[in-house]
Amino acid sequence: MASARKRSRGESLALRYAILGAWALFCLVPVLWFLSIGLRPRIEIITPQPIYFPTFSLDAWHMIWEDWPMGKYLRNSVLAIIGSVIIDLILAIPAAYSLSRFEYKGRDDIGFYILSTRMMAPAIVAVPIFFLFRNFGLLDTIWALMLIYAAINLSFVTWIIRSYMLDIPKELEDAAKTDGAGELRILWEIIIPAILPGIITASVIAMIFAINEFLFTLLIASTPDAYTMSVALANFTGGSDGVIYNAIALVAFLAFLPVFLVVVLIQKHLSRGLTMGAVKG
Amino acid sequence: MARIQLNNIQKRWGAIWGVRDVNLDIADEEFVVFLGPSGCGKTTTMRMIAGLEEPSEGEIVMDSEVMNEIDARDRDVAMVFQGYALYPNMTIYENIRFPLRMRGVPKEQHDTLIKRAAGLVELTDYLDRKPSALSGGQRQRAALARAIVRQPHVFLMDEPLSNLDAKLRQHMRVQIKHIQRELKITTVYVTHDQIEAMTLADRIVIMDKGAIQQIGTPDEIYNDPANTFVANFIGAPPMNLIAGVMEQGTFTAPGVRVDGLPAKHDGKVTLGVRPEDCTVTADGGHLSGSVYGVEPTGDMTYLTIKVGDKLIEVKAHRDYRADLNSDASVGFDPKRIYIFDTASGQRLR
Repeated sequence: MASARKRSRGESLALRYAILGAWALFCLVPVLWFLSIGLRPRIEIITPQPIYFPTFSLDAWHMIWEDWPMGKYLRNSVLAIIGSVIIDLILAIPAAYSLSRFEYKGRDDIGFYILSTRMMAPAIVAVPIFFLFRNFGLLDTIWALMLIYAAINLSFVTWIIRSYMLDIPKELEDAAKTDGAGELRILWEIIIPAILPGIITASVIAMIFAINEFLFTLLIASTPDAYTMSVALANFTGGSDGVIYNAIALVAFLAFLPVFLVVVLIQKHLSRGLTMGAVKG
Repeated sequence: MARIQLNNIQKRWGAIWGVRDVNLDIADEEFVVFLGPSGCGKTTTMRMIAGLEEPSEGEIVMDSEVMNEIDARDRDVAMVFQGYALYPNMTIYENIRFPLRMRGVPKEQHDTLIKRAAGLVELTDYLDRKPSALSGGQRQRAALARAIVRQPHVFLMDEPLSNLDAKLRQHMRVQIKHIQRELKITTVYVTHDQIEAMTLADRIVIMDKGAIQQIGTPDEIYNDPANTFVANFIGAPPMNLIAGVMEQGTFTAPGVRVDGLPAKHDGKVTLGVRPEDCTVTADGGHLSGSVYGVEPTGDMTYLTIKVGDKLIEVKAHRDYRADLNSDASVGFDPKRIYIFDTASGQRLR
């Protein structure tokens, strides 16, 4: 009886692993697919017949690093994204603190206004932003990319952090006040550590949005000095060489890799962050 | 360490009254308990003393200095909160150290002070843990240690034991009283638990609907209630209150007749008598009714008697037993009968 129950539990566990494994494979197939495209010779990709045992080739790898300044694009992407997230956090944390903790006239309207900037189609503001950046002499610079990514993401980063701050019991701040702490000290020593999972979650989402940003990057970056990975992808889609699929796939994989690694490294905080606002524990 | 005076304190949020005309003088080293039901204004009054709320009117004075305009962080008060309010990212050691850092206490003194405070609440072995790794009682003790570590002028405690189980609550009560006596720090304690109030307080302030109902020692509050609210709020089970009529020293109500009372209170009055001042008699008592419930608790038996549509509680001998709906007669201790004006609820003396 007991051994039958044990066997049934083992079978149930195996079934669970099988389902989860199948789901993981389903999610991973696109990633593995474009990695496999990136590591094949170009000729194999455009043949109409399926190739079950593809040839391994580093042609695309050599091409993107030797014929194109991919290192520079990658560096531009990383700098612009990290810079934009830092700008976002510097602005969003005090804004969220104010929106979640202080009472003043129009507070909720201001909160909604901040969020409403996200509701605008990017194309509407593209031309004014181009002229604005040109007048400031910021076209074709990493600084411009940092600012534009930060501006795009600021509203939801503020909103996410605000929702986490609302979950922090007010008693904590009252305790800190009676212990002798001022507002900035409370923010720095009590609130920020308490909402760290929320800050990490907002940062990762901002990074993902930033790395995928294409329209404004194309508008602002006109030379490889400011090209990022997303714009670099476009370089392989035209010109006399035609569409270079294996290079596109490999660059896409390289663009995906940093965010993937960040998510894996902070997975514990991220999963806590994504659920913290939802369930009070 | 500090005398606290509340002079005509009021707190309003628009049309809503939180606290009305509170006047109170708390002596140095005194342990005062604010007692009342939820929403009676006791926590709001305490938060005004802490500087976490601003009074709409009136003055808060500590040692002759008006505190109204002084920030919470600049008042030398320490507060213990109902939900402990320990900083989750810090260890217990860092939690207790926080007020020392904020108040600029020299670093070399920190360790000694922290260990002394932790020792007082028996928490020395848990200093390197995070609050999440402690039980409710340990967290409450950590909150207490954080409050006492810098020896403030005033302790404020907002229902600090309400999240603990009964046994732990009793233990912590003794500990709090002991520490307060040892440190001789003026303490204001908020609770809705009358046992905590009776056991801890030098004086109890009973509040209801934002106003003070009575201020007195636990004995005065219990034995000499100022009105029906206080009489009904203190005591478990509470005082029996029977509305009736007084005529030339005789109180009558359906099923109740008491002679020999002072003749000066003729009219509609409410007679009050505590369950322990009632005695079950064979017959000829002050009250006759039928047995509604018998609840033996080991050391006594709670007897509920139905008189008309009213239920009267009696603390009977532990061996007392009776059948449901059987006739019962109860006598009152004539020295322990209280008369209140039915309309105003105020005590008639």
